[in-house]
Amino acid sequence: MLYDKIMTLYPELTQQDFITVITLQNDSDGKGDYIAKWEHPTLPRPTDEELA
Amino acid sequence: MGDFMSIVLNSSGGGSVSIVEPTTASNFTQTLPASTGTVMVSGNMPAFSAYNSTTQSISNATDTKITYDTELFDTNSNFASSRFTPTVAGYYQIIASVRDGTGGVSGQLISYIYLNGGNNKFCVLPLSGAVGTTTVCSALMYMNGSTDFLEHYVRQSSGVSMNISASPNTTFFSGVLVRAA
Repeated sequence: MLYDKIMTLYPELTQQDFITVITLQNDSDGKGDYIAKWEHPTLPRPTDEELA
Repeated sequence: MGDFMSIVLNSSGGGSVSIVEPTTASNFTQTLPASTGTVMVSGNMPAFSAYNSTTQSISNATDTKITYDTELFDTNSNFASSRFTPTVAGYYQIIASVRDGTGGVSGQLISYIYLNGGNNKFCVLPLSGAVGTTTVCSALMYMNGSTDFLEHYVRQSSGVSMNISASPNTTFFSGVLVRAA
């Protein structure tokens, strides 16, 4: 699950972060969960390699 | 029946029908649209209702499009691939309901109405811990009748994956044109 992978990378993230500055999305098109928005002020967007 | 009035339908000979006010009532007002208006009748007023027939798993903290594979009705064939794209411009009353089918979790259950791929309206309810928390989002929305489309997304923040119910009574997406543009 994408959420778990991100939390493993950045355990300091909170549920509130996933409401305000990070949006994970799944369009039910078979492509799975993806990062639709990443606007965290200090943590960089994870790379595909980090999420693999 | 001294005030009895009649309505006469006259064929123009070209396949159209006109409504003419009775000639005996000179102050009778015909309220159909003027020459530029469109008369809305049951045949061109889109209405739809759909539900998912199979349980769908929703990842934690992830806006997930609900898959609607079963239509209860779709009067104007404007609903396909879990998306409503009305072909009549106007104002639509939309209702998007989603029910927790897992239970035993806390957090929030959020029902989103997505317009053209982005979150436009949403409603939030705390997960009660028991199966059955249902979040219903209702909104009056303008649709342009050509490119605008709506989808129903859900998000939950229980911390784990959870299922939403597969039932026409609890998890559904519906709408109807209430006023043409």
